[in-house]
Amino acid sequence: MLETILPAADPAWLDTGKLPTLVAAVIAIAVVLYTTYHRTSREAYRPRPIAGLRAVDDAIGRATEMARPVVFTPGWGGDIQRPTTIASMNILGQVAEKTALYDCRLIYPTHDPVIQSVAQEVVRESYARAGFADRFREEDIRFVSSSQFGYAAAVEGIISRQKPAAVLMLGTFEAESLIIAETGNTVGAIQIAGTDSTIQLAFFIVACDYTLIGEELFAASGYLSNDQAILASVRAQDMLKFVIAAVLVIAIIWALVIPDSRWWRF
Amino acid sequence: MSRRLAQIICAIFGVVMFLLFFSPHPAARTIALTITTEYWQVIYAFALIVGAVSFLRVNVKNIQRGQDSGYRIISLIGLVAMPTVAIIWGIGANTPFMWIFENIQVPLQSTVFALLAFFVASASFRGFRARSLPAAILLISAVVILLSRSWVEGQFASGLIATADWIRSYPSMAARRAILIGIGLGSLTTSLRVIVGIERTWLGGGR
Amino acid sequence: MKLEARHWTFVGLLIVVVGAMLLGVRPDVTISDETQRMFEYIDSLPEGSVLIYSFDHESSSLPEIRPAALALVRHSFSKGHRIIGVALLAEGTGIGYRLMEMAASESGRQYGRDWVYLGFKPQYIAAILSMGESIEKTFPQDYFGTPYDSLSMLSGVVNYQQVAGVVSIGDGNMAVHWIEYGQSRFGIRISSAMTAAMVTTYDPYISSGQLHALIGGLRGAAEYETLLKIGGGGQRGMLAQASAHIYILLLILAGNVIYFVSRRRRD
Repeated sequence: MLETILPAADPAWLDTGKLPTLVAAVIAIAVVLYTTYHRTSREAYRPRPIAGLRAVDDAIGRATEMARPVVFTPGWGGDIQRPTTIASMNILGQVAEKTALYDCRLIYPTHDPVIQSVAQEVVRESYARAGFADRFREEDIRFVSSSQFGYAAAVEGIISRQKPAAVLMLGTFEAESLIIAETGNTVGAIQIAGTDSTIQLAFFIVACDYTLIGEELFAASGYLSNDQAILASVRAQDMLKFVIAAVLVIAIIWALVIPDSRWWRF
Repeated sequence: MSRRLAQIICAIFGVVMFLLFFSPHPAARTIALTITTEYWQVIYAFALIVGAVSFLRVNVKNIQRGQDSGYRIISLIGLVAMPTVAIIWGIGANTPFMWIFENIQVPLQSTVFALLAFFVASASFRGFRARSLPAAILLISAVVILLSRSWVEGQFASGLIATADWIRSYPSMAARRAILIGIGLGSLTTSLRVIVGIERTWLGGGR
Repeated sequence: MKLEARHWTFVGLLIVVVGAMLLGVRPDVTISDETQRMFEYIDSLPEGSVLIYSFDHESSSLPEIRPAALALVRHSFSKGHRIIGVALLAEGTGIGYRLMEMAASESGRQYGRDWVYLGFKPQYIAAILSMGESIEKTFPQDYFGTPYDSLSMLSGVVNYQQVAGVVSIGDGNMAVHWIEYGQSRFGIRISSAMTAAMVTTYDPYISSGQLHALIGGLRGAAEYETLLKIGGGGQRGMLAQASAHIYILLLILAGNVIYFVSRRRRD
């Protein structure tokens, strides 16, 4: 299987041009592993409150009172290997536990068969953890279409017909974002959105009640579950941000003092 | 046991793919090629079958229950018809498959995409209001950018494009970069959690 | 059914767009720096350069993306570039082939010698990565089933090292994947034609040089057509797009007037 089919253009094992990237990656990995496995630092960390996440409970409560479902969409843009999808899956697990507890229907339409399979297991396990395995409805966690606007039309149809009290849009979104958000707005649902697509954030901010911006989505699952391993990695993100900011400041000063310098450009 | 095995496979492939990024060696490149052209594609093919079976099951069940039967029958006709036509006549130019694609699929998709324009209209009417100073600044910036991207900018002072370019190049770019750095770090930590086995949600279970 | 305010905004938009299209006016456009840069990039590539055109979009965005794609492919053919067409989204497959076939027949370019179409490969990240190692291994056959090594144009084309650049015709984040995996891993030069809504997303990549050039939406297509001194869908759609923009601005203005009047009444 592993026959060598390529010309032996460069027999070196390390591309030295990528050395700065390797050093930066190793530092980042070291910081994440340190915060994750260093118990003392883990215990000291508490994330700041995020309004959109505090509203998740209210949204599910409202849906239960109104006897309407909650629709959770991960968007069309991601697949299972995308970190955003994994972060979204974590939040799904927390939401599913609450919908199981309140006996509130949870509908999860997806564009990817692998995401569907994983989501079914996540929700099934959450229902079991909440002690209500019998309330789990496999057909509500379903693949609808892999086509972008086929997916958008399907989710729009589900929202129009089922009239959910809450629509959670957490994942990777592209042009379908506003179609889904505006339809949710039309039926009067509470809408909480979060994505790593910077362009779609603009649409969500206009059309939704709460929007998680970028990295807040990654912090969300730790915030909701209070899982110390996730919170530790959120802390690592903060530490790395300080490192990046410091490097940026040094590079700016350096570039101003010695304009010909290029060491920071790699 | 099966979950532990999946975690081990994930950890090995995660570390290997990370290391392969930095290596130009022919052996490393051959391994990368095998993973990307063979393993990934095989997994994708099986995933498609899972999706099609699930789609079929959900729709048949709902037709039996009498829920939205009309829509579901149309969906199932599409699911069966397209592969059938493709198998019989192929998918090249001037085949029935391409005819259906160009005359049914394209207009349907374009129609849903066009809805976006209407939703932008209603969302901007409803939500884009100068409720506060930051909201007013955002509103003015949006107007400048919108005008700069349409033909009408020729009718205005030439400073409009320069102003729009300044907004895009400095405040907007700075905000985007900050968000992108945050997302990049979030992606890094999530990926690491998966590789070291702290994060097991992708296996369909809790941590 | 009782019509609400949003329904009237929909009706208004329909009238504005259809009315503008029926007028058939093709306004002059000024050329933006980004379109000029893309034009100069394609124009400066020597005759015989191999370019990959990747059709990374769905049929939904065809009306917006096709004019730009057509202008770019026509330009490449006129400069004597050799083009490899691929699609990383299934729906782009047929669209890309039709478009390239049309542009090739206009300029008398021959299939197999001047251009080839390799078709669709699922799992776009895997496809981008594996083409960096071996295009033949990724696409053993072309769109019609002809073996890779039977196509004379592809003789000597092993991977990105023999390719001058990739032009991603996309409507979403696909150019980001080309940048993240193609540019950063293999150093291939990435350019893109994309829907107008996506343009600002790519500003940081343009600024950092990771994305070499881009043209955005109908406006970018109209500018490119002006530079090529040809007519096309971009110029035809300009008046409708500009009218829709003004209509949206008027809606924003009306929404704000209503908001401030009602707030004053409340106070």
